Amino acid sequence: MKLEEIKLEIDSCQTSTDLENTRIKYLGRSGLINAEFSKIKTAADPKAFGLELNKLKNDVENLITEKSQTVESIINDKQKSGLPAVALAKVGHLHPLTATERQLNEVFRKLGFSIYHSPEIVTDEYNFERLNVPSNHPARDMQDSIYIKEPQVLLRTQTSTIESYLLANHQPPFRAAFPGSVYRNEKVNRSNHFIFHQYQAVVVEKGVTMKDLIGTMDLMFKTLYGPEVVVRYRCKYYPEVEPGVGPDMQCFKCHGAGCPLCKYAGWIEMGGSGMIHPNVLKKANIDPKIYQGFAFGMGLDRWTMAQNNISDIRTLMGGNLAYKPNK
Amino acid sequence: MKLIYSELQKFLPDLNIEPQKLRDDLTMIGHFCNFYEKIDDQIVFDLDIKVNRGDCLGYYGIARDLSVLYHLDLSSTDYQCPSSNYQLPIVISTSNVTRVMAAKIVHLKNGPSPSWLQSFLKLHGVNSINTLVDLTNYIMFLYGTPCHAFDTAKSTDHLIWEMNPKYTEFTSLDKTVLKVDPSVLMINSPNRALSLSFWGGEFCAINNSTTDTIVELAVYHPTTVRQNSRLLKATTEASIRLEKSLDPNLIPQAFQHLLKLIFENCGGLIGSQVFDYYPNPKDIQPIDYDFNYPSLYSGIEISPDFGINCLTKLGCLITDNQVTPPSIRKDLNISEDLTEEIVRFYGYQNIPTNQPLAFKEVQNITPPVLYLIDSLKDQLVDLGYDEVLSWPLTKLPINPETAIYTQNSINSEYPVLRQSIIQSLQNQLDQYSRFKLPTPQFFEIGKIYFKKDNLYQEHYSLGIYHPSSNQLENDLKKLNLTATVTNNFAEIILDNLESLPTYVPQHLATQAIELNSQIITLDANIALDQPQDPLTLINQYQNLIDPKILWSISIIDVYQNRYTFRVNYYNCDDKTAKKIHLAVFKLEC
Repeated sequence: MKLEEIKLEIDSCQTSTDLENTRIKYLGRSGLINAEFSKIKTAADPKAFGLELNKLKNDVENLITEKSQTVESIINDKQKSGLPAVALAKVGHLHPLTATERQLNEVFRKLGFSIYHSPEIVTDEYNFERLNVPSNHPARDMQDSIYIKEPQVLLRTQTSTIESYLLANHQPPFRAAFPGSVYRNEKVNRSNHFIFHQYQAVVVEKGVTMKDLIGTMDLMFKTLYGPEVVVRYRCKYYPEVEPGVGPDMQCFKCHGAGCPLCKYAGWIEMGGSGMIHPNVLKKANIDPKIYQGFAFGMGLDRWTMAQNNISDIRTLMGGNLAYKPNK
Repeated sequence: MKLIYSELQKFLPDLNIEPQKLRDDLTMIGHFCNFYEKIDDQIVFDLDIKVNRGDCLGYYGIARDLSVLYHLDLSSTDYQCPSSNYQLPIVISTSNVTRVMAAKIVHLKNGPSPSWLQSFLKLHGVNSINTLVDLTNYIMFLYGTPCHAFDTAKSTDHLIWEMNPKYTEFTSLDKTVLKVDPSVLMINSPNRALSLSFWGGEFCAINNSTTDTIVELAVYHPTTVRQNSRLLKATTEASIRLEKSLDPNLIPQAFQHLLKLIFENCGGLIGSQVFDYYPNPKDIQPIDYDFNYPSLYSGIEISPDFGINCLTKLGCLITDNQVTPPSIRKDLNISEDLTEEIVRFYGYQNIPTNQPLAFKEVQNITPPVLYLIDSLKDQLVDLGYDEVLSWPLTKLPINPETAIYTQNSINSEYPVLRQSIIQSLQNQLDQYSRFKLPTPQFFEIGKIYFKKDNLYQEHYSLGIYHPSSNQLENDLKKLNLTATVTNNFAEIILDNLESLPTYVPQHLATQAIELNSQIITLDANIALDQPQDPLTLINQYQNLIDPKILWSISIIDVYQNRYTFRVNYYNCDDKTAKKIHLAVFKLEC
C-alpha cells in the first residue's frame, strides 16, 4: 500500500461522499490501514513496521483533511452556480454550421486546398466591381444590401467577395475554400435571416476545365449527401463566371416526381458555379490566357437545418439551439 | 415567365417534344423551368428567365434557343404594312431613348378582344381590356418588347419623348397617382403628361370608342427605366423588360406584326408614315474565336463543326476565326460567351461527373489565425463547452465613438455592429434562460468591429460563459489563456494571440436540438438502504426514462443514504413530465 496510490485516489474525489467512502476504505475501523496494524506482531521488525504504518495513517488523514476543504469549496461553488453535486460528464458540442464547414473543409483539404477568409465589412469594389457585377444588377439595390456607408461600404453579400480578396492578394496557382457569413437586408422571420452562411471553393491554375469543376462539385455533394445522391449540372448565369453552371440535387423527398418541397420541379437548386469570368481575373491582374479558374458556392443553412431537424432558420443563431449535456 | 406550348409552336411549327422533356431541356440550356401545367386545354410552362437574357422575355427569344437545340426552323411574320404621306410630329429630346417606331392608325373599330386573345392574356395573368390594348400586350409577350397605344383624340399627334420637364404628378392607367421628378423619362404632349416609359397614363387611355391611335414600340436606356421604376416603386410587365438590354433591331419585326394584327382584328387604315427614330445603331464587334475553345474549356471533346453549326443557327456571322453575334443576343460579347453557347447546346449533361481534381501540392495560404480558431474550438468542446453563433448586430454600442452603425438595415432595432462578443453572448444567455436551459456552458468565436481613424476594423474574438466563475478560470488556465472573468463571462481577442503553424480539426460531427418549449425541471428525493455510488445511480435512473424526453439527470444533494435527483425533461408538457417522473422514482402524488 503506497501513499502515492492513496493520494491519487483522494485527489480524484469530486464529492464529500466520494471522500468519506475513501476515508472509510483506508481509515475506518475495518479499513485497509487498520488491517495492516494487525500484522505488526508477525513483522520482521515490528517497531519499524509500526512507525511506518503510523506515518502512513497520519499522512492519509492529512490528505483527506486537506481534500475535504477543496471538496467543500467545489460543492459550495457548484451550489452557488446551480451546478449539480454529481452528474455525468458534460459533453461539449460544435455548432452544426461549424460541423458542416469542417466536413467540407476536410474534403477540400485532401485535394490540396487552403482555407481562406477575408473581412466582412467591404467596399463596393470588392463586393461587386471585381466580380463583374454590372452597375444596374439587382444585387446592387440598396434594399438588398446592408450598407455601412452608402454606397461604398457594406457588409459582404456573398462569399464571392472573399474570392475578390483571394484573387487580389495571391498569385496563382492556388486552391482555396472558404466558409463565411454573408449579409442581406432581409427581415428576420421563420424562413429568412439577415445573416446567411455560404461555402465557396476557388481554383486558379493552368488548364482547369469545366470537367474539373463538375467532378469536384460532385465529390463534395456525395461527401455531404451520400454516394447515391443525384445531381444535375445545368447552364446558369452569374456575372462572375462564364460559362456558368447550376447544380440541382434531385429532390430527396419526391425523388424527381415533384412535390411542394421542390416546388414541383423535382430538383432543388444547390448553389452556383462556373469558370471564373476573364474580366474577374483581369481585374486581379491575372492573365486569363495563361490561367483559368473555377469557383463554386452554396448555402449551408438549409442543409444544416435539415441535418439537425431544425425548422426555423432563426434557431441557427438563437437561444433555442441547444445540445444535450451528456452522452 | 409563362410560356404556352401552342404559342411557341407558332414560331416553331415543327416542335413536337413531350412537355416533360421540353421542361427539362429548357432548364438544362439555362431557362429554369419549375413546372408545366395544363390549363384550359393549354400546356403552360413556368420559366425563370435570367437577368442577362432580356431577349428571352418573349416567345421569340426562347424559340430561337429551341430552334438550335432541336435543329428546327424558326418562322417569322412577313408583313409589309401600308403607308401614308403624313409625317407624325413626334419629338425625341432625350438621349435615354434608343429607338422608337410609331405609326398612326385611323378609323379603327375597337371592342372586346377575340376569345383566343383573352385566353392568351389570362394564361399570362393579365386582364383583357379591349382588342387594341390586348394586342399591344400580346406583342410584348411574343417579342419581349413593350408597346403602347395612345388615343390621339385625347393625346394629339404631338408626342414628345423627354425627361420630365415640369410635371409633379402623373396618373397611371389604373388611376394610381405618382409623384414624378425631373429624372423620370416621360412621353408627353406639349401641355400634358401622357405616359411613363414603362406605364401608360389615364388621360389618353384606349377604350372601346377609340378610333384613332398612335401605336409605338420603343427601347430605352435600361438603367433609366430601372431607376424610374425604383423611384416610383412601380413594377410593370413593361418595366421588367425595359430594364434589360433589349434589341432595337427586333422592333421592326414586332411592329409589323402588331400592325398586321390590328388591321386583322380592328380594321382601320394607316394614318401616317412609320416613324422610326434610331439615331445611333451600334455596330456589333466581331469576336476573335478559336473553335477549339469549347473542348479546352469543357474538358471534353466538342468538334469545331458542332460549334460552327451551333453559332450559325443562333444567327452569328462566322468569318476567318471571327464571330459576329446577332444583335438580339446582347449577352454575347467575349469568346467565353460563345463557348458557353456551344457547350450548353452540346449539353452539360455530357460532361462526366466522376473526375474531380486530383490532389496537388500548391501554396498553403491558410491564415494561421484559422488554425488557432479550429484548435480552440476543439479544446473548448473537449472541456464540455457548446459552441453558439449569435447576432453580430446589437441594440446599443459600448463605445459610441468607435461604433460602426448600419445605414439602411430593415432590422433597425439592431443598428450597431458588436464591439464585444459578450454583448451577443449575454443575449444568448437571456434566451437560454427563457427556455430554462439548465446550467448552460458555451462559447463563441466571432468578429467584433470598431472604427478607428476612419478605418473599419474587425477582430476575431473568443467569448466564453460558464455558470461557475471558478471553473471558468480553471478552464482558461488549461487553455493557456489570460482573461478577466466578469459575471461568468470571459473574452479574449484572438488576433493578439500567437497563431499556430498548422492544425487539423478533430471534431467533425455534432447533433443540435431545436427547443420549441421550456425545459421542465423536477426533483426527487429517495432514500436507499445503504449508500451507493451516485454515478451508478444516475445511470440506473437514466435508463428508465425515454431519451426523447430526457434532457439530463443529476444528483444535487447527498446525505448519508438519501439522494436528491434533478431531472430535466424536454419535448413534453408539464403533466407528462410529472407523470413519468413519479413513476420512475416511485413517488406518490
